[in-house]
Amino acid sequence: MLKRLVERDLYDLLGRIADSYRLRVPGLLDDGTRTLLPWDGQQISLFGEPPQRKPTAYFFPQTDPLLKIDPRGQATSAAVAEKPFALFGLDSIDLAALAFTDRFFSNPPPDDHYLRRRNGALLIGLTGYAGPSREFLPLVKGNCDLELIACGEYWLARAGCKSADHWLAHYPHGDQEQLAVLQRESAQWNHWAAVAVQQAMELLQQDLVPDSFWEEIASRCILCSGCNLACPTCTCFCVQDRQTATGTVRSRVWDSCQLDAFMREASGHNPLGTEALRTRRRIYHKLVADPERWGEPGCVLCGRCDRACPTGIGMFAVTKEIVSRFAISSPD
Amino acid sequence: MTATLTTCPYCGTGCNFYLLRDEDGRLTGVEPAGNHPTSRGQLCIKGWNAHAFVEHPDRLTIPQIRTKGNLQPVDWQTALDLIHEKLSGIAEKHGPDSLMFLSSAKVSNEENYLLMKLARAGYGTNNIDHCARLCHSSTVTGLVETLGSGAMTNSLSCFDETELIFVIGSNTTEQHPLIGSRILQAVWRGAKLIVADSRKIRLARHADLHLRHMNGTDVALLNGLMRQILLEGLENRSFIESRTENFAALEKSLAPFHPEYVGKVTGLLPEQIVSAARMYAEAEKAMIVYAMGITQHSHGVDNVRAVSNLALLTGNLGRPGTGVNPLRGQNNVQGACDMGALPDVYSGYQRVSDPAARLKFSAAWQTRLPEKPGLMSTHAIEAAAAGKIRGMLILGENPMLSDANQNLVRQALEKLEFLVVIDIFPTETAQLADVVLPAACYAERDGTFTSTERRVQRGRKALTPPGEAQADWQILCALLQRCGVNADYVEPGEIMAEISRLTPSYAGISYARLEGNGLQWPCPDAQHPGTPILHREQCARGKGRFSPVAYRPPKELPDASYPLLLNTGRIGIHWHTGSMTRRSHLLDREERSAFVEINPEDAEKLQVRTRQQVKISSRRGAIQAAAKLTERVPPGQIFIPFHFAEGAANALTNNALDPESGIPEFKVCAVRIDPC
Ligand code: SF4
Ligand code: SF4
Ligand code: SF4
Repeated sequence: MLKRLVERDLYDLLGRIADSYRLRVPGLLDDGTRTLLPWDGQQISLFGEPPQRKPTAYFFPQTDPLLKIDPRGQATSAAVAEKPFALFGLDSIDLAALAFTDRFFSNPPPDDHYLRRRNGALLIGLTGYAGPSREFLPLVKGNCDLELIACGEYWLARAGCKSADHWLAHYPHGDQEQLAVLQRESAQWNHWAAVAVQQAMELLQQDLVPDSFWEEIASRCILCSGCNLACPTCTCFCVQDRQTATGTVRSRVWDSCQLDAFMREASGHNPLGTEALRTRRRIYHKLVADPERWGEPGCVLCGRCDRACPTGIGMFAVTKEIVSRFAISSPD
Repeated sequence: MTATLTTCPYCGTGCNFYLLRDEDGRLTGVEPAGNHPTSRGQLCIKGWNAHAFVEHPDRLTIPQIRTKGNLQPVDWQTALDLIHEKLSGIAEKHGPDSLMFLSSAKVSNEENYLLMKLARAGYGTNNIDHCARLCHSSTVTGLVETLGSGAMTNSLSCFDETELIFVIGSNTTEQHPLIGSRILQAVWRGAKLIVADSRKIRLARHADLHLRHMNGTDVALLNGLMRQILLEGLENRSFIESRTENFAALEKSLAPFHPEYVGKVTGLLPEQIVSAARMYAEAEKAMIVYAMGITQHSHGVDNVRAVSNLALLTGNLGRPGTGVNPLRGQNNVQGACDMGALPDVYSGYQRVSDPAARLKFSAAWQTRLPEKPGLMSTHAIEAAAAGKIRGMLILGENPMLSDANQNLVRQALEKLEFLVVIDIFPTETAQLADVVLPAACYAERDGTFTSTERRVQRGRKALTPPGEAQADWQILCALLQRCGVNADYVEPGEIMAEISRLTPSYAGISYARLEGNGLQWPCPDAQHPGTPILHREQCARGKGRFSPVAYRPPKELPDASYPLLLNTGRIGIHWHTGSMTRRSHLLDREERSAFVEINPEDAEKLQVRTRQQVKISSRRGAIQAAAKLTERVPPGQIFIPFHFAEGAANALTNNALDPESGIPEFKVCAVRIDPC
């Protein structure tokens, strides 16, 4: 089923979704930062940079109360809002990140707390000519419940699964031919950093990057943790307990493998005890460990770590440097 | 979910971020402002965790009065009435100058302004000061004398176009991380970097030249550089002639500082001094960046003068990519100074001793004002210990951990007849108070903060304060009203309107104009776009003044009984006395307790192993801390951060004060290490 929506239809669709979901749509914050925001019927930012806050933060927030233990030792799980989220404005990269994180948290033993928020949520892709200055964003292959494909003045819309069909039922049909054209364009689309990341991944897998490289990169790291906190596939957290007058509240808090205490043992011994080891791990985990475990890299090429890194050693920058220094022939 | 744009409560870099709240009103995290000129979608680790302490269960939520030795909850009316009764009683009996008011570089401009109004108009004393006394008082004194303005001359964007950065006494990547990162970015771009610091800080790893001069020998080093520059004819003659005065005196004063002599004093090789001099002077555009390594000495003002002389000598002033750039520590230490939370000036550095300024403020506040400049905070502590200061109000500061010589501070605070502390957490200082008032933290009130690049920016209220806590400005208004001084502001914007009427450098600043990226002062009228670079055509004082300085060694150097030099400061993860960062889970986990950095060579001599608890003593006190063996400190020196109450570095430090700025010598004293 392919439908065609003009702007009025799009707002109508989102309005109906907002009745039963906590709808988040792309909007601009006070300083112009584009991110997903609660929808109050206002103008939506229908194209632009990818939302700055990673979409996984809706299901796995930076600080998240898990349970409360009362003075008698009785534990109660933290309540989760009844209405599920609907996230509108996700590109293929962010949807891949959500799929990656979903798989991580669903893998046995499943993470109930994440899944309580994630189950029943509606993911709405926004692809086509919806990038910065209406640049083309490739269409998604699955991974979402609904996909809106920006085509200039109107959107082609399709459901990613049968159960989402009904949202689109009463809109006019879209042009299959046009979809085919966009699909061909998507097939040809390549992320500008993909080649370097792929090559760097191979070099790392073959162990062709020496320790001295990691020492050098690590010496540039100011330990801000931004690369991890901004990354939609980073899932590490630590546990915070706070004693209050009425009991203990246990929360989880985003963690960062760039920090010394990330793996430090109570004895003081630290298996990741140097900055070089930790920096190596940040890249290695995504490009070597994840492919071994999941069959695909843990980097979905969103670019958020490069943007968050104050000293220019995010994933794209580091992989580019790896390739330029250690590849037998550098990429064209 | 709501996202409230605000200014980071930690360092003076001035990053902006959004505080995020969920539907239940709980803070869930922060998101950097993507388009802000300083943050640009980035934060340091403290910024990323700036939400974490806000809802901590230790927050003070109710006013307390000490009864029978214990702090007991009371209502606001009772607490405020008691404060006024006691403070005015002491002022009546012993004179207003027996009171001292300590303001805070953590509260807003509006709140600093109100506290200085309370001290001056409410209680009739100029005894008001704040922690700039401990960090950049030397800068204010030194740069006002040489340039006419005590602030950072240039802007952070200048790092993007400079050719050379000379960092002296600033561990920038840890203390001003988003300035440190800009310096690193400048290095990748091709700019040269000279780092002068006895410790192997991160920047030093990327420096073209790392000068590990002995702590406290900065004057010798800087004079040595200047002598060499003159010797090689690398000075900027036309700048010296057209824009400066007193050059002949400077030239004469430099004569003894030949490289061999400087090498002997500083521990550097003579060649290092020669190449640093050449590198700095040959750059077309060079920035000097400095912080506590320059200011916190018994000769801190002289250090600042020497820095300023160096910039003037080479004409590195008043242009993009140049300047004398003191990095201000706290998020509002610049603003607290601008607002006149200082003993000798009203807002905008208008002198209390100037009859015209006094008349202006008297007319605005409709009261007589005292003309004698007040006490510096460090002198006030001494005066309290001597029984001359009897009542004190401390707003958001924790001198028990932050001031030099903790024993003296304790003695002083315990001796007071009456101590009021307004704070967000039960700090070590609050525990000594007669009245403790619970304040709103940065996330719970509106106001403005002035960053190190003189950028006045909005802080915005994202949530309501816990329990009965109130914003400092509200508390100060209630006290002003009890003093019979008009303070019926409905919101902080109205206080800013009063500030801009009375303060020429803030005259063009209003809340409406601060939307967006704020404004850099001076901003003299409502159309003025702000001033990114000071001293462009001429210095604020007219001609830049060379102020020759002689080398004086620190007051207490290692000797046979105390053979090691103690250097103190901060680490990147924690903030000052730890009241906020030690209550932020991720930060607390990273560095949990007191430690001392010891060079492995010294550790071997002392037979100290890593993580072993050791006793460190000075002539003023003794503490325990865990040994951290590291090459960061040179042999003969140890470093202790002052964040940790259980191993308080300031129990050891020397309260030897700079004679002009009153700053203590935090960077040098003599200590001994013994196994526990
Ligand atoms: S680009 Fe960076 S932030 Fe994005 S998925 Fe890859 S590693 Fe994570
Ligand atoms: S974002 Fe950059 S500087 Fe910050 S921790 Fe990551 S690599 Fe280090
Ligand atoms: S650099 Fe300073 S202002 Fe910026 S986030 Fe860190 S502490 Fe806050």
